[in-house]
Amino acid sequence: MTVKRKSKKHLDIANSGALSDLAFLLIIFFIVVAVFNINKGFILLLPKKDSVKIINVNDIIKVTLKDDGTLLYENKTILLSELERIVKDTLSLYPNMTLLLSIYPEVPYQQVVHIVDLVRKLNVENFSFAMAGEKT
Amino acid sequence: MKIVRKFRRKPIIPINSMSDIAFLLLIFIMLISLINYRREVKINYAEAEFQEVTQSENNLEIWINAPGHLFVKGAEVSLNALEQIIATSVVENPDVRIHILADRDTPYKHVNSVMEILKLLQHRIISLVVKETGSS
Repeated sequence: MTVKRKSKKHLDIANSGALSDLAFLLIIFFIVVAVFNINKGFILLLPKKDSVKIINVNDIIKVTLKDDGTLLYENKTILLSELERIVKDTLSLYPNMTLLLSIYPEVPYQQVVHIVDLVRKLNVENFSFAMAGEKT
Repeated sequence: MKIVRKFRRKPIIPINSMSDIAFLLLIFIMLISLINYRREVKINYAEAEFQEVTQSENNLEIWINAPGHLFVKGAEVSLNALEQIIATSVVENPDVRIHILADRDTPYKHVNSVMEILKLLQHRIISLVVKETGSS
């Protein structure tokens, strides 16, 4: 009787799927790390120190953000939605409108972000902000 | 004369250890990524609806927590030290993008103090980092 010798099958790592699994894990890892490191927000252009800009009085909207988060416009307390309407109306009349925001020192940062968000939403090109007591 | 034909051996690339190499590569890259990973400070991000990617090739992140303490690369710094850090970063790389990552409850005066330094150093472009509304 002839005994058939079993030929040992050559193990092919490349075709076993292990490499593709590793490559897949590597890709997932890099995607996750890349997503975590991306900052999103607003890019703002700060004015030059002591720079002066001449603006038409009609183009200016002065708003004050108080410590408790209330908004003051022409000495009246307004809501953010009302400010949105005022800015929209003024922009339609005066396209070069400038929004001057005076911010009290203790205002929570989130309140300021709400205003910047609104400015971005309404495409207000001229926006200036400063802490109350400083020159805007 | 009978010429014996030489059988050329088929070139074989040894791939048995390929998975080991791939695995080591994976570990190496993961470790390098962790070394370069940014040191985060625990803050509650401010939220906004409209935002853009503010990440640049070279970035300097300034973290401000709720009580107003300043952090750079995970270490707490004073305002004077921050001025030095920013000046050095700008000298080394004038295109460095400066990001302010402030807690939503941080009083605005702390954010303003950082902006004043940037104005003083004539670095005009800043990024206010926020999260998308609703994402936590």
